[in-house]
Amino acid sequence: MREWWAKLRRLLAGRRGSARDLAAEIDAEIDAQLEFEIQENIARGMPADGARAAALRHIGNRTQIQERARDAWGFPSFETIAQDLRYGLRGIRRSPGFSLVIVLTLALGIGANTAIFSVVNAVLLRPLPYPAADRLVWLGESDPKTEGISVTWVNYQHWRNQNHSFEDMAGFHTAHFTLTGRGEPLLTRAGVVTHGFFGLVGAHPLLGRIFTAADDQPGAAPTAVLDYRFWIGKLGADPAILGATLALNGKPFEVVGVLPPGLHFFEQSVDFYLPLHQIEGEVVDRSRHGSMRLLARLKPGVTLRAAVADLDLIMQRLAQSDPGPESQHRASAVFFTEYSTGDIRPTLLILLGAVGLVLIIACANVASLVLARSTARTREIAIRAAIGAGRARLVKQLLTENLLLAALGGAAGGLLARWGSDALIAVGPRDIPRLTEATFDWRVLLFAAAITILTGLFTGIAPVFAAGKADLVSALKDSSRSATGRGGQRSRSVLVVAEIALTLVLAFAAGLLLRNLIAAQTADPGFVPDHVLALELVLPSASYKSPPAIAGFYDTLKRDLHALPGVTAVGAVSCPPSAGDCGDWFYSVLDQPAPQPAEVPIALFNTADRDYFGAMHIPLREGRAFNDADRPAAPRVAIVNETFARKWWPKESAVGRRIKSGGPYREGPTYQIVGVAGNVSQMGLGTEPYPEIYLPLSQSPSEAMVVMVRAAGAASSLAPAVRRRVTAIDRNLPIQSLQPFAQTVAASLAQRRFSALLLALFAALAMLLAAVGIYGLLNYWVRVREDEIAIRMALGAPRPSILRWAGWQALRLSLAGVAVGMLSGWAVSRWLENLVFGVTHNFTTLAAAAVAVIAIAMVAAAIPVRRATQVDVVDKLHRA
Amino acid sequence: MSTVDNPRERLEFLQGTLEVLILRSLQVGPNHAYGITLSLERQSGDEFVVDNGSLYPAVQRLLQRDWIAAQWKISPNGRRAKYYRLTPAGRRQLVAATSRWQRFVEAMGRILAPEG
Repeated sequence: MREWWAKLRRLLAGRRGSARDLAAEIDAEIDAQLEFEIQENIARGMPADGARAAALRHIGNRTQIQERARDAWGFPSFETIAQDLRYGLRGIRRSPGFSLVIVLTLALGIGANTAIFSVVNAVLLRPLPYPAADRLVWLGESDPKTEGISVTWVNYQHWRNQNHSFEDMAGFHTAHFTLTGRGEPLLTRAGVVTHGFFGLVGAHPLLGRIFTAADDQPGAAPTAVLDYRFWIGKLGADPAILGATLALNGKPFEVVGVLPPGLHFFEQSVDFYLPLHQIEGEVVDRSRHGSMRLLARLKPGVTLRAAVADLDLIMQRLAQSDPGPESQHRASAVFFTEYSTGDIRPTLLILLGAVGLVLIIACANVASLVLARSTARTREIAIRAAIGAGRARLVKQLLTENLLLAALGGAAGGLLARWGSDALIAVGPRDIPRLTEATFDWRVLLFAAAITILTGLFTGIAPVFAAGKADLVSALKDSSRSATGRGGQRSRSVLVVAEIALTLVLAFAAGLLLRNLIAAQTADPGFVPDHVLALELVLPSASYKSPPAIAGFYDTLKRDLHALPGVTAVGAVSCPPSAGDCGDWFYSVLDQPAPQPAEVPIALFNTADRDYFGAMHIPLREGRAFNDADRPAAPRVAIVNETFARKWWPKESAVGRRIKSGGPYREGPTYQIVGVAGNVSQMGLGTEPYPEIYLPLSQSPSEAMVVMVRAAGAASSLAPAVRRRVTAIDRNLPIQSLQPFAQTVAASLAQRRFSALLLALFAALAMLLAAVGIYGLLNYWVRVREDEIAIRMALGAPRPSILRWAGWQALRLSLAGVAVGMLSGWAVSRWLENLVFGVTHNFTTLAAAAVAVIAIAMVAAAIPVRRATQVDVVDKLHRA
Repeated sequence: MSTVDNPRERLEFLQGTLEVLILRSLQVGPNHAYGITLSLERQSGDEFVVDNGSLYPAVQRLLQRDWIAAQWKISPNGRRAKYYRLTPAGRRQLVAATSRWQRFVEAMGRILAPEG
């Protein structure tokens, strides 16, 4: 390799053009030699011209010398490469079975990796479709405990006007609006954005215009910009839509523009955009939060850290000039790419790691096979070396052969990957952003090519080492195969041990994730989701203006639903289990010392009606459920969950205590705790319980509720009747969703199920490959020792002892692999623990994985070990 | 490769052997190309013919591997010539190659020697 380096250096130093220099140099050298020889010839007594002619003759063809000397600096000619390729193809054709096994193994490894990479590429790597997307930043506020709090309007103004780090900044959030006057009433989602938003995401109108600063003012005429899909799907692509009005929550909005397709900024798609400042109106309180977050583009060259420091400085100045309950608030920022892929990143990285291990195992297998064959070819190689084939040339030929095999494997793997990538898109959970965009772009192809070449080189190195070490003397002299390739056998053993170890690591990781998944599925969610039909409603605030109107609607609805045959209970809640964090807020406990402003605790504030706990079978640990006594005028009451009660009163009763919403430093009502409810899995199955406060619907009405209808039979059979009842009460009310609640709950595990099952698949693949590897190695081991076995048996060794001998070989390899695998698996599990919530490293799983791997190894070894005892002694001894 | 050599013909080099011989000839001290030719022919008892078409490329290969280094100097008889000398890496390579060659020769000898 050293001369390649020298050649490259010369090439890079631009001295390739100076081939003429080299020629001139050699020319001068030959001239010098010529002079020497002429002088010598004259000294020997030749006449001057004769001496010169003789010297010229002796020196030979000067041009040819120069050419050949210059060629020494060139790279191998195309002819040599073509010859190597021909040899390679010949080698592949000569042993089609062997080649097929290698190509298939590599295809599996390369295919699986490319498929996963195509997803990683689409989800994590491919830049977002916005201008200068790598400088886009997601901004929120932070306090000492929490990051990503919504940004208040006032703070946004200060940030926008005073920062030195951002090119532009815009606010956004989403909101629901009921669209009426165009057929059926429709619940729509609006992206509520400040007018700079479209510039940041690089959106230009397809029709009309986007918002101007004049639209985005309190008191400006209400305007709307339509999303393409909404315009096509719901408004029939009406070209006369510009200037028309949409009645949203009963208010007219003039359509001023339509966006082209392809803007998917919000996680859930929006139907249209509304100007934020126009919708929200003027705000002067610096601590008045909506749900606005900011999108901003960094100036080129400004780091995220510097930008945050810049905003923090503004916040510190504001804390002095405009102090308030949030004087400790600062800015928090993440790159938008990271923000939009935050949840799925660890999952994909785990999968990429796992599938990488599969590829390594595949490579080990192939290297082992190639090694076995090159051991068999030792004599051929030794002879070729002896008759003058340079070692470099031999190495190049072997490498070419392996690269050819890898290329075939890579091509087959590419096909597999296409198919696998489609399958991943089909079964992947819907909440992975941009998953459906997984395609084979140049990055995926480059990746596939790179791993193909790497596998070719890696699997090529093993036989090359063997070829380099091939002991010429013994290879040429010995006729017995058992003496050759002991070294090869050792290298292959190392490879198989590594394979077993990696397989164990994969099996262990898959086991941990599966365990985690099963635990989540079987954990008590704190309620009974079966036989419950969930009806999600959002009452339009235009038609349901007052709290009594809202309460009245839900009372009527519940009564009507309860009257349906087959309905056993009906209850309503605003934030159902598994829905995540629908809204947490500060609170304080009145019989406890007031916390520091930065230490005010937060809890999830939920709204439930009196029948909710009964309908969902959520047990009441203490006190009572809400009841008819909790009228709007009555003292305000609350029910807390067990986690909340235990946090503050671990030994005593929580009932009768008083809590204040907003904490000591903000306005807010006080509630008396009347009951303690059991915990439910609020953030999804198998997640940690979260402190929660339920307020009664009668006292704290909420337009958005999920009505839980418990059926005696199948939940879905009730759906048509429920739908009819809703329409009967208010035929303008859109139904947000209506489906068995068990489905919703199960969907919260989709991502975990996806990763656990894929990992299990990879582990299975790894086991299969490792089994093939062990089988191949032992098979060879037995074949090489058939003579030895025959002699042992002829000398009276019983079959069981042969069985033990061969079996011990298999067991020894497996145990070594398992030992290494257990150690590394333990380390990997610590890493997994940090990455995936709820995974705990656990010895039972590790032991189970180890047993499984040993069992697979033993099964794979059984056939060759049995063959060892079947050696035909007489035949063998005759031949020997 | 010719299989049967006419004993009267002078020997050709096996691939790679010329390089080792050049290294060996430089072990005694720096020399120029023609000097190397002369010393190899003399030391082999005129069995080897050193063809310039082989010598010059071989020298280039050795330069690439940094086993020898070159410098223009004035020869003892007052002529300018390009002198080659062994580098430390070349010295190590010569030792390794020599021992490999001896093993090879022994092996060939053992095989080619008549049985018994």
